Amino acid sequence: MSDSTKSVPVVTSGFRPWFRLLAAIARKQFTLLVRYPINTISQLFGLYVFFALIFFGGQAVGGAAFGESLAAIIVGFFLFTMTIVAYSGLAWDVTREAQWGTLEQLFMSPFGFGRVMAAKAAVNVCFSLLWGGVILLSMLVTTGQSLSVNLVTVLPVGVLTIASALGVGFVFAGLALVYKRIENLFQLIQFAFVALIAAPVDAVPALRLLPLAQGSALLREAMTQGTQLWEFQAFEVGMLVLTAVGYLAIGAYVFGRASRRARRLGVLGQY
Amino acid sequence: MSDTGRPPAISVRNLTKVYGDEADGGVRAVSDLSLDIETGTVVGLLGPNGAGKTTAIKCMLGLVVPTTGEVSIHGIDVHTETRRAYRRVAAMLEGARNVYWRLSVRENLDFFASLGGQERAEARTRQNRLLEQLGLAEKADTPVNDLSRGMKQKASLAATLSRGTDVVFLDEPTLGLDVESSLELRRELRRLAERESMTIVLSSHDMDVVEDVCDRVVIVDDGEIVADDTVENLIDLFRTQSYRLVLGGEVPSNTRETLESTYEAAEWEQLGDDGRIDRTRVTVSVADGDELYDLLGLLRRDGVSLRNIDSVDPDLAEVFLGLTDRSGGPNVRPNQSPASGESTESPESPVAIDASESVSDGGDQ
Repeated sequence: MSDSTKSVPVVTSGFRPWFRLLAAIARKQFTLLVRYPINTISQLFGLYVFFALIFFGGQAVGGAAFGESLAAIIVGFFLFTMTIVAYSGLAWDVTREAQWGTLEQLFMSPFGFGRVMAAKAAVNVCFSLLWGGVILLSMLVTTGQSLSVNLVTVLPVGVLTIASALGVGFVFAGLALVYKRIENLFQLIQFAFVALIAAPVDAVPALRLLPLAQGSALLREAMTQGTQLWEFQAFEVGMLVLTAVGYLAIGAYVFGRASRRARRLGVLGQY
Repeated sequence: MSDTGRPPAISVRNLTKVYGDEADGGVRAVSDLSLDIETGTVVGLLGPNGAGKTTAIKCMLGLVVPTTGEVSIHGIDVHTETRRAYRRVAAMLEGARNVYWRLSVRENLDFFASLGGQERAEARTRQNRLLEQLGLAEKADTPVNDLSRGMKQKASLAATLSRGTDVVFLDEPTLGLDVESSLELRRELRRLAERESMTIVLSSHDMDVVEDVCDRVVIVDDGEIVADDTVENLIDLFRTQSYRLVLGGEVPSNTRETLESTYEAAEWEQLGDDGRIDRTRVTVSVADGDELYDLLGLLRRDGVSLRNIDSVDPDLAEVFLGLTDRSGGPNVRPNQSPASGESTESPESPVAIDASESVSDGGDQ
């Protein structure tokens, strides 16, 4: 090696370095997805089969009554898919990175561990939209159902809804840093997401304060009734933003505290 | 501060790490550890399993929060200015585990360079050189998972060096490497230190590697520094203190007792043919030449003939075992002043080894 290997200035502030980090994480995630296509396809297929069982089973049992709620089920499943991808991308990834021995390398980035995890979260949201889109399309083709997919409405409402789940993901990622083997808890939370997505916020308004619940209601209305973003009441959108920002902030705080505690206990890179 | 007025590449002051509450069965993994490492030096950090070196390394890297003490990299406090410090330091921990095995070698290098905040184009030039130097060019597009153990190790090292920092911590860098690769790597580490002023802290159980590569060795035991000096000085401390004697016939019991109590005689071996013992081999330790003459006088007085005498040249492994009290025998011990019995200090660096307890304070330099 010659001069080319000598240390070079490191730039981590400003938009370009931040974008480079995002691009590097996205490239890595994408490479892992396409390098093992069977694994990726089987995950997608598993989600699709799960929906197909609900759809064909529901048709057989519920008949016409099932058809009335089909649109809401599709929207709910679409949101569930995106939520799972975004949430597990954080919570499970921390566990996997610790297993692989790469977690400490992420911590040692001059961008800061928080920013690296934020970049991972942002990439996870993009991937969750991609997976959600594929599943949504499959569901619509299978059922012959049509829904309003106005991106100007669906994208921001979808992203803000997922943001609250990301906050939960950060909390559990933080717990995984300290307590390690909590995969069973991760799975329980995934079931809880089903309940949150189906939460009856009209009947019990307080449920809007829970993650996913408000966003799920708005997304359902937007996709089944064609309501546009600007047609929602300001209070409804405000509540969505509040829960998104609130849960993200709580998640970031807990994650920060947990990573500090993991370093104090000397267990950051352990699994 | 160093002679140049610049802060040392790594400065550790009174580093202590206690896991849990000491009064309640907590573990003191690192105890009041202090050292300075100058730019462009390769320092070997040695210690038996459980000695506290991993905790010490992780504290130096900011991955473990110390109970007390400070660590700075080029004057930047690792625990309060973490992000700034990580512009200057990278680490290869846990052998080949710190890369993504599903990504190719080049993809890993790309990723870690970006994680280190480097421009992709600039990083690419460095990566190509690294791949060439470490013999990975042909395997650049192979997933790490498909590489041999040694190649995985090299990929891991390349990923660490791809960050382009001027301080690098390497944990067992030659683990799993074949002899040729290990030698190549040693040359490369020396070159990085000498020509590119890279500061390298190397932890290894391979004493040959440490002896070959390191300018200085810090030996840690029970969380404390027990020796801190150049490899040469450490070996000198143990050199010519031990002799292997071949004595005629069997040694009388009273002579044997004196040899054992005064000269730490050990490794007794009776030699001969056809069941007849005609020689006895034994290893003894003496503090200096005068003591050797005393020993010879004792043998003459007791009528024991001396057939042969060889000095036992220690290597770093013996120094290590001697200092960490894991030699299993008394034949290796550090030099000590015969007059006072006090520790001997190297004129070049402040090693201070207490001969009786094998404990030194490598702190202030």
